Amino acid sequence: MKRSFDAIVIGAGPAGSSAALTLAKAGLDVALLERGSYPGEKNMFGGVLHRLTALEEHFPEFWNQAPLERHIVKKSLTFLTEESSFNVNFDTQASDRTPYNGYTVYRPRFDRWLADEAVKAGAKLYCGCTVEDLLREDGRITGVKVMRDGGEIKAPVVIAADGVLSFAAKKAGLRRPAFDPAQMAVGVKALIDLPKEVIDDRFGLVRDQGASNELVGCTQGVRGGGFLYTNYDSLSIGLVMHLGSLSESGKTPYDLLNSFMEQPQMAKLLKGGRLLEYSAHLVPEGGYDMVPETYGDGILVAGDAAALCIVTGLNLEGINLATHSGTLAGQAAIEAHGRKDFSKRSLSCYQRMLENSYVMQDLKLYRRTPHMLHNDRIYTQYPELLCGIMDEIYRIDGTPKDTMTKLLMRTVKDKIGLKNLLADVYSGWRAL
Amino acid sequence: MKINVDEIFDVTSFNIDREPHIVLDPQVCVGCDQRGCTNSCPARCYTWSEEDQKMTFVHDGCLECGTCYVVCHRNAFTRWTYPRGGFGVSFRMT
Ligand SMILES: Cc1cc2nc3c(=O)[nH]c(=O)nc-3n(C[C@H](O)[C@H](O)[C@H](O)COP(=O)(O)OP(=O)(O)OC[C@H]3O[C@@H](n4cnc5c(N)ncnc54)[C@H](O)[C@@H]3O)c2cc1C
Ligand code: SF4
Ligand code: SF4
Repeated sequence: MKRSFDAIVIGAGPAGSSAALTLAKAGLDVALLERGSYPGEKNMFGGVLHRLTALEEHFPEFWNQAPLERHIVKKSLTFLTEESSFNVNFDTQASDRTPYNGYTVYRPRFDRWLADEAVKAGAKLYCGCTVEDLLREDGRITGVKVMRDGGEIKAPVVIAADGVLSFAAKKAGLRRPAFDPAQMAVGVKALIDLPKEVIDDRFGLVRDQGASNELVGCTQGVRGGGFLYTNYDSLSIGLVMHLGSLSESGKTPYDLLNSFMEQPQMAKLLKGGRLLEYSAHLVPEGGYDMVPETYGDGILVAGDAAALCIVTGLNLEGINLATHSGTLAGQAAIEAHGRKDFSKRSLSCYQRMLENSYVMQDLKLYRRTPHMLHNDRIYTQYPELLCGIMDEIYRIDGTPKDTMTKLLMRTVKDKIGLKNLLADVYSGWRAL
Repeated sequence: MKINVDEIFDVTSFNIDREPHIVLDPQVCVGCDQRGCTNSCPARCYTWSEEDQKMTFVHDGCLECGTCYVVCHRNAFTRWTYPRGGFGVSFRMT
């Protein structure tokens, strides 16, 4: 294939398809290149789509248009030990009204739908098309080389939306050539088949209501956490673990996931289910400090490729940032076309748009969080502390009880140390 | 219900390319002091034999996650790319 376009987008994930949709709607001739045999074939995630304000402009009744599973009305955080769990729930009627605040989705379905919308708007989608290299003229990116037949596709501006490892950003010299395992996490996930009625019953849901649950203490000391989300008639359960910590632990992701699923309280929720699919993917967890240069001569970087992801332990936000940054990259490319100037200087308007949006502002706000999460006490001692306290409060065994303060002080001293607790509360407060 | 990675083809679909997308220089692994790839790979593609002092890598069940690419601190790869278009792992509903 040898062709020229007004713009090329690498990767038909949420970032790439949003960029292509924006460009096509403005009447530009855009090529959307995807290595999978269909968009979403290679993509997995935990499962919760947060509200996508950037897409609501294209789809005013997003919830009636996108292929969604359930909308989230219950959010919970659980501290887990080998035999107990301590749960904090948030449940609000407001989440049961449109515009909903979040949904569960399947990536192969969702990504395919979004890419199809870009095609409907006029974008040209090429699947089974892996980009191998970037084309350059006078130091400026002018297109891409694809792996299939060594074909070359040209355009004055390329948007790299090729996900977490972004070889495009690397080849353009925008990201560091090697990643730091401390800034990356791997997610493993099992999709479990269960009838809708059983899910409704176990999670206390009706109609299309859904629940999302984040868990701490299920990784046997490896830094990371678990998630459990309800789809229409299946459950998504998985672990997200820091690579540095996992690698050093000598433990394997699938053994840890198996133990997590066998924990008694979890096993009860999964009972009777059948394993439908097993998947894995990386998450860029380093936050603001990991963000590469987002623009260069003839190139823009969006979504995971630019490490635009926020992981707090309470939430994992990626798709919302990907669709938003993809949309902004599309707009920046449109502006550059207006100026007929695709130099780095001209494309720097993208960085300004990112800075003015919640994307960079939230990343900056949570700048300290990745550091805070590198505290090993979170992953074993705190879950044990909380479950231990609850156990003492509820246990009736004929011995007199301590006052609450005494109980708290004693357990803290045993498990964590007062100094550590104060330091952790302080850094947690600053990071969140 | 349990994930058995040795039978990964039962729960994950693949269109296997005969040409491997990841190629390792096993000599580099012999001198490696960590071998984080062997436990971190979610598909158990890496097996180290202490007896033979030898690393075996199988690309068939690779989930294309990138873990080994990030974890390997000695850059043991003579090739690390995604599979050619249309090949490799295929998620249906995850
Ligand atoms: C375990 C896990 C749990 C998560 N949970 C959540 C969650 O609950 N909520 C949330 O909002 N986010 C979550 N995320 C993050 C979210 O998945 C990402 O932030 C999001 O997918 C980024 O979108 P993207 O379009 O930038 O990249 P991707 O979705 O990775 O898309 C990149 C696309 O580019 C294609 N591609 C790559 N290289 C090439 C190439 N050379 N040539 C052609 N095509 C190429 C890929 O096939 C892919 O389709 C999670 C991530 C993981 C791994
Ligand atoms: S970490 Fe790298 S060098 Fe070490 S054994 Fe694994 S692949 Fe080989
Ligand atoms: S990419 Fe992931 S699944 Fe494939 S070999 Fe590397 S670690 Fe294993």
